[in-house]
Amino acid sequence: MNLLEKSKAIRNQEITALDSLEKFNQVIASKNSNINAFVQIDHETALKKANEIDARIKNGEKVGKLAGMIIGIKSNINVKDFTISAASKTLENYMGSYDATVIQRIKEEDGIIIGMTNMDEFAAGSSTETSFHGPTNNPAAPGHIPGGSSGGSAAAIAAQMCDITLGSDTGGSIRNPASHCGVMGFKPTYGAVSRQGLLDLSMSLDQIGPLAADTSGIAMMLDTIAGNDPKECTSIDWKVPNFTALLDENPEEALNGMKVGVVKQFQEVTDDHIVNIIEDSIDKMGEMGAEVVELSFDYVDLCLPTYYLINYVEFFSATRKYDGRKYGHQIEEVCGDEVLRRIHMGSYISQQEFSGKYYKKALQARSLIRKEINKLLNGVDIIAGPTVPKLPHKLGETLEPMEMYAYDVLTVIANLAGIPASSMKAGEVKGIPVGLQFQAKPLDDAKIVQAMAALEKAA
Amino acid sequence: MKCGLEIHVQLETDSKLFCDCHTNYQDAPANTNICHVCLNQPGAKPFPTNENALEGALKIAMMLDCKIADDVTYFMRKHYNYPDLPSGYQRTSVPIGYEGDLNGVRIREVHMEEDPGQYKPDLGIVDFNRSGIPLIEIVTEPDMKSPEEARAFLRELIRVLEYSGDARGEGTMRADVNISLEGGKRVEIKNINSIKGAYKALKFEMVRQKNLLKRGVEITQETRAFLEAQMITVSMRLKEGAEDYRFIPDPDLPPMQAKEEQVEGIREKMPEPPHIKVKRFMEQYNIAEEPAKVLTSELELADTFEEVVKSVDPQFAALWMRDELKRVLYYNKISFDESGITPQQVIELLKMVQKKEVTTKVGQRIIENMPNSSKSPKEIAEKMGLIGIVNEDEVIQAAQKVIDENPEAVADYHEGKSAALNFLVGQVMRFTRGKAEPGRTVEFLKEML
Ligand SMILES: [Zn+2]
Repeated sequence: MNLLEKSKAIRNQEITALDSLEKFNQVIASKNSNINAFVQIDHETALKKANEIDARIKNGEKVGKLAGMIIGIKSNINVKDFTISAASKTLENYMGSYDATVIQRIKEEDGIIIGMTNMDEFAAGSSTETSFHGPTNNPAAPGHIPGGSSGGSAAAIAAQMCDITLGSDTGGSIRNPASHCGVMGFKPTYGAVSRQGLLDLSMSLDQIGPLAADTSGIAMMLDTIAGNDPKECTSIDWKVPNFTALLDENPEEALNGMKVGVVKQFQEVTDDHIVNIIEDSIDKMGEMGAEVVELSFDYVDLCLPTYYLINYVEFFSATRKYDGRKYGHQIEEVCGDEVLRRIHMGSYISQQEFSGKYYKKALQARSLIRKEINKLLNGVDIIAGPTVPKLPHKLGETLEPMEMYAYDVLTVIANLAGIPASSMKAGEVKGIPVGLQFQAKPLDDAKIVQAMAALEKAA
Repeated sequence: MKCGLEIHVQLETDSKLFCDCHTNYQDAPANTNICHVCLNQPGAKPFPTNENALEGALKIAMMLDCKIADDVTYFMRKHYNYPDLPSGYQRTSVPIGYEGDLNGVRIREVHMEEDPGQYKPDLGIVDFNRSGIPLIEIVTEPDMKSPEEARAFLRELIRVLEYSGDARGEGTMRADVNISLEGGKRVEIKNINSIKGAYKALKFEMVRQKNLLKRGVEITQETRAFLEAQMITVSMRLKEGAEDYRFIPDPDLPPMQAKEEQVEGIREKMPEPPHIKVKRFMEQYNIAEEPAKVLTSELELADTFEEVVKSVDPQFAALWMRDELKRVLYYNKISFDESGITPQQVIELLKMVQKKEVTTKVGQRIIENMPNSSKSPKEIAEKMGLIGIVNEDEVIQAAQKVIDENPEAVADYHEGKSAALNFLVGQVMRFTRGKAEPGRTVEFLKEML
């Protein structure tokens, strides 16, 4: 039973929201102390909401799209009355004072928010090891990092602690942990989902998106959160497709005739074991009728430096409000090494005398990358390739910053270009999940969902 | 000396620049006009830029004869650390207008900003009611040559802002002035909150620098603060300590572009700026500069004047409105707009005076009763018993009575004291309730004495 079927079953009173919630509660109770996917749980409110939804269904009242779905939220998205810590001591006392737009929409559609998930401090990481709440374990490959920064959101899905989670993706923070934990993760087109209420890492790159065990969960959540927010200036006014409707009939046929690009440079920077698995997936897509074409992208080396320079400067700016006056701690005094490194770098390169040399150059490089990627995408429907070029390291292993950044080389491109991208499980290497990444043109989010659904069906 | 100004004034809008909170920050209890956006709570993003603020800023820029940026404009983040700044940066736009002119002072640029909150150390609080209120900043070239010129410029600028109807005026003004004397470096003075303050600061600074130069002390580039209570300036920081604001374009706000239709629409609706109006009044109505300036001191007054002169001789109207009307307004401490006086009332009164239906004196009495009166001048005159000019018999009777009752004044008159005649004329006017013609009264009195 996939998530869409489950939601129908709840509506048809075959199962109750309460049963579903209780089952998840048991899993959380037995596994969360080891996995550390959730950093805060609110059983009581969830229970009330589940009972209310069951009662409404029983009475034949109308319920929302997410009725009875149990949802986990990354700790950098404002939910009223939860602690929105961004996994940092800086905000250990900050209670969400308002609902982010995505949270308003989830509540309107009767999703049940059960708790807040773990993450890298301020989303500045790719391993969820930098959390003030301690690291998250990878349920799919115990003893390994779950990836990050939305590691808690991916682990919660992998450990079956809830139906759908929200993450945020600035340079891969949804897709990277989705890949390492073997779940579905989706980063929408920049502006397709409102950022109102999402704590800033890098404002021009950040995007909220869903993680789930199957494509129908991704589609249900996109149906809920995608769409124009007139109160958020970078939100796009677009005609949102009906994502769940795409899965209604013969979704596997979607690949038939689809033009799938494979970029050889993406494979070249990737571990051979991973490449083998990705190639199997691409062959499969070919068998299902996709036309596979080879593409070339000469700017892979430019992407990481461009990404990090922009990230540093925007993050420096975003963290100036944590001056110790309003939220209790001054960020520089209590944050971890990586957050401090980014603040210092951002402060340094945004100085008047250096900004032309670094920051403005990075913005120019970004325009170039965006242009070149869009050029590639003009000839194809989607680009398929690995999500992460290497396997996750073991918890406790220490990596140099540059080694850590190398995890992101294939995911930052979508953020720099503002395009939609996803990750789904393609297979395993030594028992560790490997993710297949799709990327598409801006606002072609539906094509990715279709490709995911088709390949999922074939598996 | 050379002096340039940077003037901030609040724009007059109902809601803040990037959220829906109200802007009546002075009336509201501390920290009640706030939301997650203007408090910059974690995760909060600005709402789309307030269109009214943007249009107001464009209008003011155009009234200052600025060119309007036809390229994209955007907001920058200006980073600094202060308790009243909830995000640690202030949003400030790139110039939306540039290369303007106001009475020969070049306007370098006009841009928009958001106001920070108010840090009140005495109360131990920061009040964020003001946080996010739109500001306009006007930057001049160093074209003023004396404190007096700077004061005259500021007065004129405030008048333009009042004319625009989109700014809050001198009460919300904050200015930085820069001054350099021959042989010295440029000194910037911050913390000025009024035209008078700007004038006093410049005066003080001019004297201070002249004295230093006289003693052969070098004037170094520095920033000084004006202490309003003491009317002096004190050093804040030398150039070496200049702050780096790490300007970056705000990633949360997409670039804006003023559309040509929008600019033209504003241009059509915008009021003629007062300094242009003065010149036009002088030429079109053949009146002197001084009355033209008085008549344009307020847009409503200027508009009324133009309405009045459609049916009354402009020079006569100018004289009356400058002298008598302004006197009444000044006495009552109200603006013309607040007086509620209509063009029709003014026209009727001036016609009555011109046709000699009432004397000048009576006209003065009538106009004194016009503020906040819905009655016509005729009705006012009737009610006060002022209507009509009395016949000569009545004047002669009154004159006889005055002569009889004031033997001392009569005696003084015969001794050649001219003040005595004025006194007697005044008494006749009193008996006739001002309806006697002063000229004729003098003649009668002289004859009878
Ligand atoms: Zn507000």
